[in-house]
Amino acid sequence: MAILDVQHMEKHFGATRVLEDISFQMEQGEALAIIGSSGSGKTTLLRCLNFLETPDQGKIIVNGETLYDAGDPATQRESEVRKKRLHFGLVFQSFNLFPQYTALENVTLAPRLLAKERPDFKARKKEILEEIRSQGRSMLERMGLGDREGHYPHQLSGGQQQRVAIARALAMKPDILCFDEPTSALDPELTGEVLKVIRELAEQKTTMIIVTHEMAFAREVADQVIFMDQGVIAEQGPAHQVMDHPKEERTRRFLARYAEGMGEA
Amino acid sequence: MLLSVTLTLLEGLAVTLELFGLTLLFALPLGLVISFGSMSRCAPLRWVVKTIVWVVRGTPLMLQIMVVFFGPGLLFGLPLPQRFTAAVVTFVINYSCYFSEIYRGGIQGVPVGQQEAGLVLGMTKSQVFFKVTLLQIIKRIVPPMGNEFITLVKDTALVRVISVYEITWMGETYIRKGMIWPLFYIAVFYLAVNGILTLLLGWLEKKMDYFK
Repeated sequence: MAILDVQHMEKHFGATRVLEDISFQMEQGEALAIIGSSGSGKTTLLRCLNFLETPDQGKIIVNGETLYDAGDPATQRESEVRKKRLHFGLVFQSFNLFPQYTALENVTLAPRLLAKERPDFKARKKEILEEIRSQGRSMLERMGLGDREGHYPHQLSGGQQQRVAIARALAMKPDILCFDEPTSALDPELTGEVLKVIRELAEQKTTMIIVTHEMAFAREVADQVIFMDQGVIAEQGPAHQVMDHPKEERTRRFLARYAEGMGEA
Repeated sequence: MLLSVTLTLLEGLAVTLELFGLTLLFALPLGLVISFGSMSRCAPLRWVVKTIVWVVRGTPLMLQIMVVFFGPGLLFGLPLPQRFTAAVVTFVINYSCYFSEIYRGGIQGVPVGQQEAGLVLGMTKSQVFFKVTLLQIIKRIVPPMGNEFITLVKDTALVRVISVYEITWMGETYIRKGMIWPLFYIAVFYLAVNGILTLLLGWLEKKMDYFK
């Protein structure tokens, strides 16, 4: 069974149709790259999956459970949205770390708040919090930031901040981790360290959706690639096929433009 | 002489500080309510609130004091209100409008990405507010609030127009006795109060210096 099944998703902003009939599936452990020019709807798609936007049409099914169905109001209750979000993690282009918390606190804040809802929280408070702390630490270590846990975001470089943000998303153990142009806000010399940890996550079979402009990286890391153009999926398939032998003229033109501007890609 | 002047001025200072304290007590929360109104999704409400803020901020506080004090009598034939109460009411209305704009700036100054990051991590809206955005709002509003506090201390002198006997009014009585130095002495009291405020606000700002 597919871990994620998106069916006929549509999203409008006023009269503008941002997403149109988006359907795709993902398997557990797969990395999916979404490419396409700015304004093609990639970010909106991720935001819909994370319930930051509400799709006007379509369904989102995770592990067979229908999380969202535009035709069924029962799936749209505000009170349940919060729990549903936890199936997904989101790493933002602009990191969005909480400035008043240290790297470790950024990672552990949400798990601590969630743990308060556990029935055994009162009885085992100390134990649970210690567990969350040590998990947060090991998460930062995985990101190569073991020595930075006490640093505040403004004391970290952009690449380090983004790695903390990845650790923070991973700490919630999402089924599917989404990246929204994770290196677009970084200086070129800092993109490498972020791509490296995403590559490692892919090697560890983390289920991921990566919206990216790094074409070489997408080709290397992704199992599947979706090319979006003007709100629709213009082409999707195995990474090597879409990127090396695109069937669609639109895909070919897009990739050619990137190949020209190699410096950027 | 010095002692009797000091005692008289202290009496006035008590009134000044009372007006200052009561204004903060009521205007700080009321300002927050007004700021929510000015950010409301309901356009008519937003329009009404913004108009009120425009009128209150756009007219002299001294004029407002006179209107609040004399207005009820001249318009509706009501008895004159208590002088001090009228002063407090005017100051609360006036300052809550200024505070509301500061709150609005502080709230809107926190990037929306902060809230989204919290929500995506499964936090409730109230958790996001209290654990993520609140401190960032406070950090943003402390410096402009500090300015308002200091202005407020000095603005209290305006209530002399309706003969509330605050410290400046008390000192003025000595002019008729041909004495100038009590006026400078008054300044010392204002400076002392604002000096303490400046230190407190500076300390608060420093407390939040650890993040950007």
